[in-house]
Amino acid sequence: MTDHGNELRIEQLTKSYRSGAPVLQGLDLTVPGGTLAAVLGPSGCGKTTLLRVIAGFLRADTGTVALDGRTLAGPGVHLPPERRRIGIVPQEGALFPHMTVARNVAFGLTGLDRGERRRRTADMLDLVGLAGYGDRMPHELSGGQQQRIALARALAPRPALVLLDEPFNALDSALRAGVRADVRSALRATGATALLVTHDQQEALSTADLVAVVRQGRVAQCDTPQDLYRRPADPWVAGFVGDAVLVPATVHASGSTATTPLGTVTLTAPLEGRSTGTVVLRPEQLQLTDADTEEAVRGTVRDVFYYGHDAKVTLAVQGVDDPVDVRVAGPLSVGPGQEAAIRVTGEATLHP
Amino acid sequence: MRRPSARRITALLAAGLLLPVLASCGSGDDKGGSAEGGDSALVIYSGRHEKLVKPILDKLEKAVGAKVEVRYGDSAELAAQILEEGDRTKAGLFFSQDAGALGALSKEGMLAKLPQSSLDEVDKAYRGEEGDWVGLSGRVRVIAYNPDKVAEDKVPDRVADVTKPEWKGKVGFAPTNASFQAFVTGMRVLEGDDATRLWLKGLKANGKVYTNNLATLDAVESGEVSLGLVNHYYWYERVAEKGEDKVGAQLKFLPGGDPGALINVAGVGILKDGGQAGTAQKAVDYLLSKEAQTYFADTTKEYPLAAGVTSNVEGLPPFESLESPDIDLGKLESLQETLAMLQDVGLV
Amino acid sequence: MTASASGGRPAGAPAPAGRRPVRKTDGAPAGRRPPLVLLVPACVAALFALLPLGYLAVRAFERGPRYAWDVVGDERTLQLLARSLSLTAVVVAACLVLGVSLAWLTVRTALPGARAWSVLVTLPLAVPSYVAAFAWLASAPRTAGFAGAALALTLVSFPYVHLPVAAALRGIDPAQEEAARSLGHGPLRTFLRVTLPQLRPAAAGGALLVALYVLSDFGAVSLMRYDTFTRAIHTSYRASFDRTPAAALSVVLVVMTVALVAAETRTRGRAGHARTGAGTARPAVPVPLGRWRVPALAWCTTLVAAAVAFPLGTLGYWLAVGNSATWDAGALGEAAWTTLGVAAAGAALTTLLALPVGVIAARHRGRGARLLEQAAYAGHALPGITVALSLVFFAVRYAYPLYQQLPLLIGAYAVLFLPVAVAATRAAVLQAPPVLEDVARSLGRSPLRVLREVTVPLAAPGVAAGAALTFVVCMKELPATLLLRPTGVDTLATRLWTETGSGSFAAAAPYAAALILLAAVPSYLLGRHRT
Repeated sequence: MTDHGNELRIEQLTKSYRSGAPVLQGLDLTVPGGTLAAVLGPSGCGKTTLLRVIAGFLRADTGTVALDGRTLAGPGVHLPPERRRIGIVPQEGALFPHMTVARNVAFGLTGLDRGERRRRTADMLDLVGLAGYGDRMPHELSGGQQQRIALARALAPRPALVLLDEPFNALDSALRAGVRADVRSALRATGATALLVTHDQQEALSTADLVAVVRQGRVAQCDTPQDLYRRPADPWVAGFVGDAVLVPATVHASGSTATTPLGTVTLTAPLEGRSTGTVVLRPEQLQLTDADTEEAVRGTVRDVFYYGHDAKVTLAVQGVDDPVDVRVAGPLSVGPGQEAAIRVTGEATLHP
Repeated sequence: MRRPSARRITALLAAGLLLPVLASCGSGDDKGGSAEGGDSALVIYSGRHEKLVKPILDKLEKAVGAKVEVRYGDSAELAAQILEEGDRTKAGLFFSQDAGALGALSKEGMLAKLPQSSLDEVDKAYRGEEGDWVGLSGRVRVIAYNPDKVAEDKVPDRVADVTKPEWKGKVGFAPTNASFQAFVTGMRVLEGDDATRLWLKGLKANGKVYTNNLATLDAVESGEVSLGLVNHYYWYERVAEKGEDKVGAQLKFLPGGDPGALINVAGVGILKDGGQAGTAQKAVDYLLSKEAQTYFADTTKEYPLAAGVTSNVEGLPPFESLESPDIDLGKLESLQETLAMLQDVGLV
Repeated sequence: MTASASGGRPAGAPAPAGRRPVRKTDGAPAGRRPPLVLLVPACVAALFALLPLGYLAVRAFERGPRYAWDVVGDERTLQLLARSLSLTAVVVAACLVLGVSLAWLTVRTALPGARAWSVLVTLPLAVPSYVAAFAWLASAPRTAGFAGAALALTLVSFPYVHLPVAAALRGIDPAQEEAARSLGHGPLRTFLRVTLPQLRPAAAGGALLVALYVLSDFGAVSLMRYDTFTRAIHTSYRASFDRTPAAALSVVLVVMTVALVAAETRTRGRAGHARTGAGTARPAVPVPLGRWRVPALAWCTTLVAAAVAFPLGTLGYWLAVGNSATWDAGALGEAAWTTLGVAAAGAALTTLLALPVGVIAARHRGRGARLLEQAAYAGHALPGITVALSLVFFAVRYAYPLYQQLPLLIGAYAVLFLPVAVAATRAAVLQAPPVLEDVARSLGRSPLRVLREVTVPLAAPGVAAGAALTFVVCMKELPATLLLRPTGVDTLATRLWTETGSGSFAAAAPYAAALILLAAVPSYLLGRHRT
């Protein structure tokens, strides 16, 4: 529907509490209209503060928040939450326990006549796959259903932006994937811009179109999930968004390959003016091969973690301080204490 | 919170709360309207109990020919209220249970001078020094005794004697009662603080404490104690109610000006700023009249103080025969020291 | 439930210094100023509650600070202070033991008839302290003094502790207790180390109300002849007809109140609102009592018998034996109706005034919010007569048309009992997760409409419970009613006073019985409300 408007633009946002260090330290973030973006960060990185500043529950110290070209917060401007056209989906849904599901969904539908309101409510319930649940009370719904109603409630007034605050946290893992998929398709269907706050990198990577990693009140990197994973801005981001194997590297004269304790690695991009650095590899880029292959680097198996669909083998390799994780699909042929050889595939990033 | 029954209870509570509010607003209005009666209406603040004086105040309303509203309360608290109201007091007349509260208002200059004709109705001893209040009725302290426990001639002639060893555990009294406290004040005036303190200590050791005069009288009747320090009229009321043969107690009026025979008076004063002086004066005249004085004599069994009325209550010694101590009632204002003494001794 | 803790915004908890993740405090409304729609009425309520203090300042110092200081510094004053405080300490301790034990028995154990007991143990609220004292004195005169005063006051005020503690017990996730049990703690140790600390804020809130009630009580202590500070204030009016020393003594009570309120605020401590999730805690599995079943039943029976059955029985006895029992059904009916009316209006006004103060106390922190709440409490330990005289003082000067009219009496109830309603409102609002208010704001509601459509409906049962409690205490109120009622208007309490004052207990008994029975209805609803 409204694929092109509704861009969220945040510039130089700072916020500190009376006691303690600043929480937001000049944060910049732009989310194009219609995008589902995830804000990913560890506990205490400031992501919930960011969400509350965007929603208008907190005042930023400096910086601006603009939505669809409209300044919501900035020097001398602070629009109250009710005038921002921003829907929120809190943890655990936070449905109004004293209202039916239908009244919850219709809560934000002011200025519509009864018929329209009812139609819109029904549409929203339909959208989240809970048509016919309107007369129930919130406590009669499961956690996942409550969460979907919370989304329907947030989407009903056609907000310019939807904020989702770790909305899948309280759900058990079996439910989570399903609800996540439903939420994403509902958001896609309405074309709303959405910001999902989470500390779960899998959730961020699998759900969002765009992931902003926040570290100490700043965006460390904002990219598509794929680029974020494969081309992390630095080793910390690499480690935060997935398992990473960090190895020292010496760049070859060509600049496109480097020598590491795990063998020669192809670089995604050369690092200007540097001949050494750290290479970030993903466990699935490493393969176990026959120990007598020519190129292979040898290591001793320390431990094996079997997951069913694959397994993680941890090895000790000479020249690498930390244990090296290798992801192995299919049947396993090694056990702890045995020797194995490692081979690197694909490209990797080089960092100072 | 989410259970429907909680909601129902909430609704029920709300309804229950609202209904009487509406009702009280209705009833409040008509009460309110009559309070603003203008000059013809008279508001009496009565420290005397409704039970005792309502009949005579109803008659008073007819006699003065104006609407009379009575606000009952504790004499001291009503006095404090009048003092707080100051020159905007609603009270036209203050009817006090004792002289102390009237004296306090007199001291603050809140009472109007009474005409000499009214004052002259009453013995000088029973009216205010400034001529701004007048006593209406008197009650005398007596010793009630149980004739089954103690022979009449063995009952002490002096209240001082009840602390003697032979009365150990046999004396009942009500130290929180205002008349008892006035009597102690009288004793202090007559015999000095040291003697009174000593006596109170003896009384504490000998006596049994009751909540009021009636409970004390009950205890005498039941034989729980042999003697009781009470006001006279409780006994006569009881006799009137049950007949003398059914009342298991007798009274002894103490001779010789003993402090145990102190007379307390109830009286009235007109509020200077009440704006009802005319009606109030009529009310004072009525209360000093033969009809009202007879009421105090016959119904409350007190001693009438005016209009030459004498009590017809059977067995009641004539007022003139009482050998009460000769003290200035105005001095009974020094109640505070009495209370401090009672507290020190541990009686209140 | 573990997950919910990570998202909870601990309303009312100070910013943690420790290792609590920052995001937990992110959302706390610390920095948010209360909206004007709340702040203005809350300030009005606070000013209203502070009226008696203004009066006391005028009266206590009208003869200069020196005189006031002499009154306060008197040795006798200090003795009285010690007596008042020791009575308060004993009653509060006894109420804590009774209230907490009964709450635990009725909420957490397999006590036979637990639901009925939880209602029965609320009924003592309906008994005026002076009636309880009178009943004890009549049948056991030897109780007069400290023991009797402590007994009577404990028996009428332990529900102030029982009610909030029972509510808190229901709110505690039983999973915590199960965890403690699995870690090797016995039931008693679990109760002492896991449950009890969490009950502390609720118990302290109740204990504060009990303490202030004991400090302000006159009826029971005067009947029991135990000299306390409040009695000294009355004596000062009675004996010297002097309002200055009484006011100076009252100032001391206010100082004590402020100290107690500050102490109570501290016990709220770091423990915030336990559950913010949308789900309801799983109901606890009742603890089997085993061989303690009979003693537990005996304990409940004894308390209900002593606190409710005994005074009612005494009244019944007077009715049966009294020969002055020629009671007037018309007067009784009228007094009952008036009582219901003024108490209901008093409860309504008090609740209305308490609402903004309670919401701010629950949702906002900082000195301003704390001061507002404390202002509501400031006059609560003052004896009714002092509050009444202060309203006489102000009404005569500034609101003469209201003087000796029902609105002023109702206003006096609000001044006297504001803390009762504030405490209930605050607790009720704390139960409503603040995130719901955020959601409502984001859906386009102004703060006022959020209050009306979300906060108040969610808090309504708790607020209603507070209103019911206020209703009960208004019904029982005597000293202020005597002074401020319109001339000629009688409540059950004033009729009761009239009849006992003239010594006719049998004639007083119907009024006392009617008062207790009428007050038992809201008490009954209070007992049921949270079960």
